[in-house]
Amino acid sequence: MVKKIKQADIGKLLERWAKDYRIFVPSRDGEITRFDRWDGKDTGFLSIYRNTVVPAKSVFFPVKEEMFSYKKDSTGYQLKVPGPSMSKKLLFGIRPCDASALAMLDVAFKEGYEDPYYLEKRRDTVLVGMTCLRPYDSCFCTSLGGGPGESKNVDIMMTQVGDEYILEGITQKGEELLAGVEYFTDASEADISRLRSVKEGALKQITRKVNVKDITQRIYDVIENKEFWETSAIKCVSCGVCTFFCPTCYCFDISDEKEKGTGIRKRAWDSCQFPVYTKMPAENPREEKWRRVRQKVAHKYAYFPTLYGGTISCTGCGRCIRLCPVSWDITAVINSVPEKVTTESK
Amino acid sequence: MDKILQDNLRKEVKALFEQKKVDLVIGYETGPTKFTTTPVLIKNSEEADRLVINDFITSNLAKMLVKIKGKAGIVAKGCDSRSIVSLIQDHKVKRENIVIIGVPCSGIIDVGKISRLIGKEPDEIDDITREKDAVLVTSGSEKKSLPLKEVLYEHCLACDLSTPAECDVLIGEPASPPLDKVASLAKINEMEKMTAEQRWQYWKEQMQRCTRCYACRNVCPVCYCERCFVEESEPQWINIAPNWQDNLIFQVIRSIHVAGRCTDCGNCERACPVGIPLRSLVRKMYDIVDEMFHYKAGTNKDDLPLMASYETREAEELIR
Amino acid sequence: MEQNSEWKPQILGFLCKWCSYAGADLAGTSRKKYPANMRIMKIPCSGRIAPLFILKALRMGFDGVLVSGCHPGDCHYQTGNYRARRRIALTKKFLEYIGIEPQRVQASWVSASEANKFAQVSEEVTKEVKEVGPNRLFSDNGQNITG
Repeated sequence: MVKKIKQADIGKLLERWAKDYRIFVPSRDGEITRFDRWDGKDTGFLSIYRNTVVPAKSVFFPVKEEMFSYKKDSTGYQLKVPGPSMSKKLLFGIRPCDASALAMLDVAFKEGYEDPYYLEKRRDTVLVGMTCLRPYDSCFCTSLGGGPGESKNVDIMMTQVGDEYILEGITQKGEELLAGVEYFTDASEADISRLRSVKEGALKQITRKVNVKDITQRIYDVIENKEFWETSAIKCVSCGVCTFFCPTCYCFDISDEKEKGTGIRKRAWDSCQFPVYTKMPAENPREEKWRRVRQKVAHKYAYFPTLYGGTISCTGCGRCIRLCPVSWDITAVINSVPEKVTTESK
Repeated sequence: MDKILQDNLRKEVKALFEQKKVDLVIGYETGPTKFTTTPVLIKNSEEADRLVINDFITSNLAKMLVKIKGKAGIVAKGCDSRSIVSLIQDHKVKRENIVIIGVPCSGIIDVGKISRLIGKEPDEIDDITREKDAVLVTSGSEKKSLPLKEVLYEHCLACDLSTPAECDVLIGEPASPPLDKVASLAKINEMEKMTAEQRWQYWKEQMQRCTRCYACRNVCPVCYCERCFVEESEPQWINIAPNWQDNLIFQVIRSIHVAGRCTDCGNCERACPVGIPLRSLVRKMYDIVDEMFHYKAGTNKDDLPLMASYETREAEELIR
Repeated sequence: MEQNSEWKPQILGFLCKWCSYAGADLAGTSRKKYPANMRIMKIPCSGRIAPLFILKALRMGFDGVLVSGCHPGDCHYQTGNYRARRRIALTKKFLEYIGIEPQRVQASWVSASEANKFAQVSEEVTKEVKEVGPNRLFSDNGQNITG
């Protein structure tokens, strides 16, 4: 079903949903935007018309989290593990690229080993997506099977049309949430036609394109080409910005923090770009910067697709381009990977 | 910045390659999004036309000199040239292995500031043109003139050396940004008016946002340690997880470690993805160094580094 | 700042082996009276001090830190204390700027024969640290971390 709601009624809608769900909305935190618990009253966040700086993954895979803690008492060591997630979550205003990214994280945190921390937070979460009316010039989601109005990974897709929002029920869960809410009116034919043209307009605004035809094989073809990767890597400073703010990156490091008689085991975001990421006592296989940059590009466009059915683990959100201190551009690198070698082109 | 500077630069770089004075040149080229530039390393005179000089050449390229192989030409604004001098003082770079191409700088535009002032994101702005003491910003049919002082990077307003002194060739006439030290140090001065508790609370809040991405450290030309203190595990000085306490210690110690070598190029604050006002730390250190030891980083390549030298009598009032 | 009457300040003293540590030793053997609140760490020279040590000590929960070395000109290694002086000066000023009470970071020159001075420094530092109260700077909820 497709419904319509006035912007002024969004607050009431969220209050309604807040009875059953913990609501997360885009929020301002100083100069940046991130997903935080809705404060229960303010809908000023609706003016955040673009993607948040901190990706939605931070709700399920936070920058740091406690894995367990222990305390020594007279009887021995008492272990405390975080309890189960108390209530269902609803992420309001997630962008299609971040939603696609969550689908990839779902795979990464489940295949081979089921990560209890991520999965516990992730279960029973409803995603209410929001169409991007004004994508960044650094966005390139359309090249990767996405789009500013793409709804395939959310439960409900919202699009702002004038001072109203149109909501499309995508999954059964989404339909259930849309049913019987008195602030909604049914979307008319004219509404749906307007919705279509708004989404088309948004689509036209994506100007950045990346050539991913046969990209996995193309990358394997240059995988040992040191000069190619060195040229791509020369200006990189090996910080962790691109990976931390990438919605599909999921590396973490585990560390213990001990006090007298008590301790906490935490995990925190880690980056394959850090020089010490692969450092071991005997050697560091990615000592040179070009190897680390190659790893980042190849993981997203070759290794992940090889492991997980051809899915490129980049959603074209453009954060890496916007936030990189030296404006490194992954689309330039991908576009410079030579075309696939065929017997005809030899 | 003039187109003249850009033309001069390209001519000069071509000449350097033709005279075989350099194996490579580090400079700026057009960035991936509007009003950005990005570092580039060119290896022959054919690529010289990729080099640009404009109002957005923000990066401190001195960073790229550490570990470079071969004779390197490097495009350097005033602050960058001082960072190069800091590296020469620390013996990380040999003066004879580099050709410093000095760019007289009249200040770099902070597109973020413009963005906040006119309420439009950088990619929604069509044009930013500099005209004397103002900047004309066009977005669609809207045209707005903003005072130059309000849109330059804060550190530019307190620039101590806008035209490189240590350089092999200068590609234009000496220049300077409009100076306004009071505006540049406004945040620090605000801080000094607070009580100790308020200041600590302020930094505690700022450090909650730090993710320990190390962008600040990694863009800094004088943070060149092979193994940073945060990466030590025996002993482990601070926790790996980004707790505010450990984040604060990281930032404080980093500020102390760059004392006397930091030239307030502003790259750390610019690099921070979550908008922590790092300059309020490193610039304060810069001023402490100036007040206590009358020393400004990167002034004379034959000087000893600040922390490698001493006076027989100094700072005695702080010691019992 | 709460003043728990049971609270005793814990101060970490970095004493250089050749002068200050010997001076402290002499204060002990001469039966000088001075507060017992200082944990002493013997270092080869005051120049061994890194600002990181001072911050780590405060992070661990020490209420105050003292760095003590030979008088300028008398360093066993010639210039170690000069290096220490610059580092300590920068550290003190900077930590004060970010909101750490300056009384928590102290420095002194105590020679091997200055038993009285050591006792006096000990007395004064302990008194000043007592006045600023327990170090709650790095605690999230009132508890100190000592790991």
